[in-house]
Amino acid sequence: MLEIHKKEEKLKSELLTVSMGPQHPATHGVLRVEIKTDSEIVTEAIPHIGYLHRCMEKHAENLDYRAVIPFTDRLDYLAAMNMELTYVLAVEKMLKTEVPIRAEYIRVIVSELQRIASHLMFFGTYAIDLGAFSPFLYVFQDREFILRIFEELSGARLLYNYIWIGGVWNDITDDQIKRIGTFCDTLDESLKKYHTLVGENKIFISRTADVGVINKEMALDFGATGPVLRGAGVKWDLRKNRPYSIYSKLNFDVPVGMGEKGSVGDCWDRYIVRVREMHESIKIVRQCLAGIEAGPIMGKVPKIIKVPKGEIYMRTECARGELGYHLVSDGGKKPYRLKVKSSCFTHVSMLPAVGPGLMIADLVATIGSIDIVLGEIDR
Amino acid sequence: MHNQWAQFINTSVPGANATVVAPVGTTDAATGVTTPGIGDSWITVAADEIHAVCKALKQGEHEFTTLQAISGVDYLAEGQIELCYILASMNKNTELILKTRVPRGDGVKLSKLPSVVSVWSAANFLERECFDMFGVSFLGHPNLKRVLCPDDWTGYPLRKDYVVQEKYLDMVINPPSKMNIQEREFGARHAHIAGATTSVENYSVPAPAKEQ
Repeated sequence: MLEIHKKEEKLKSELLTVSMGPQHPATHGVLRVEIKTDSEIVTEAIPHIGYLHRCMEKHAENLDYRAVIPFTDRLDYLAAMNMELTYVLAVEKMLKTEVPIRAEYIRVIVSELQRIASHLMFFGTYAIDLGAFSPFLYVFQDREFILRIFEELSGARLLYNYIWIGGVWNDITDDQIKRIGTFCDTLDESLKKYHTLVGENKIFISRTADVGVINKEMALDFGATGPVLRGAGVKWDLRKNRPYSIYSKLNFDVPVGMGEKGSVGDCWDRYIVRVREMHESIKIVRQCLAGIEAGPIMGKVPKIIKVPKGEIYMRTECARGELGYHLVSDGGKKPYRLKVKSSCFTHVSMLPAVGPGLMIADLVATIGSIDIVLGEIDR
Repeated sequence: MHNQWAQFINTSVPGANATVVAPVGTTDAATGVTTPGIGDSWITVAADEIHAVCKALKQGEHEFTTLQAISGVDYLAEGQIELCYILASMNKNTELILKTRVPRGDGVKLSKLPSVVSVWSAANFLERECFDMFGVSFLGHPNLKRVLCPDDWTGYPLRKDYVVQEKYLDMVINPPSKMNIQEREFGARHAHIAGATTSVENYSVPAPAKEQ
């Protein structure tokens, strides 16, 4: 045996630990993923969260019921309307408040527009994750319209405090209804255009198809919800299966992943579920614009809200999955306990199971496809 | 529905001692009309049997395939911490709040109960969060570490008697200069009124004394 061969035998290989984040553009915020890599292959992915933790649940215990609403905005700051709606529905269910029908319609319009805005954001940032820059600029034009409408309605572009206990804060005008209607038509067309640009792109398909597969068993085991669950082929949508507000009156489909480009539950499936959901949301908004009735926008709510003793678990379908509030009241002016069940928290806990075996770049594609918002994870 | 579930739990896990608790309604003494209680019902079980109960509920006829959340509630007066396991079934379209109580202890020696990670992988992070926020230890958890707070944090924030530590790694927590300025200014503006509570949240001015 030559001398050089002896040397090579002594060489040992070991795993390299790489810290992805917390300041990394592909982690969508302050998520840190500790990855152990064997050359380019990920063997272990451990998420470290909590960089944005401000213990919102403790804050809620020290505020009266109305004052909690702005705090719920700051959970998922890209879909703040949905966060408000769930909390308000929980309190209203305990108070047995009757909400005027016009307010219900406005709530559904804004929460569906918010879902579109959030999915557009996903569309743009996901394309950036995979190296395409221009879709990001396209979708921001459309998102801008929605933010403008929200600004006119609530006075804020991101954190609205618009949906109040008993109704909504501000009425929607006929002019706004007309403009949202035309926006729906243009968005329907432009979404198709964007999809051919990104979703049918050969490079995009090869980066996402058969990558980061989350199958049905795994999704159920980890308690995944929303587009991640539907991407895995499970037809489950709270708006359809356990309707709240006026969703039982509305007509829409629940798109699921079918493994068109690869296998069921891969990144492409989660992408296409979100794109199709936007089309469904447009359908819902159109029905609401047609069905909206004149009337008051605020129901009768006592000046000082005292929720009767008891507890409730209220969950709704938000942009990223199911959001649940477990509200415990002791009969006082403040919640005794408000637990936020966040969908992103459960999704991020799936990373150790999805990560191993992927390339590093595919891990970026997977994290992008589960679409996390750190404000909701860390609370 | 809840009665069926409780019966199922009691037959499959003998020591579970499952009981249904429904929200308490009120009866008007004058008219005799009973208004039903508000909110959800739940089932309480013994803490030691929580793993067996969860396993039975998942694999049994009621198909609680997913664990949605584990929510802790600290009852300071009763000296107990309540853990609410929120289960959901997609096939049957049902949801269930399963509760169990452990003594809250003094925050140093932690109460223990069996972990359900082997039943649902979702419990991994949820139990870690519960440990982090309430100081409840789960037996058989693969990696019971803090998840939201730093590893070397002291105290359990969502306990009702929690006091924030003063310093963390030589950094002052909540320095006076960074406290809520609005509230301090509000207090300063109203400090001249004798007996006024000077906080935005709880502001009150005493009624002026009547002239004799």
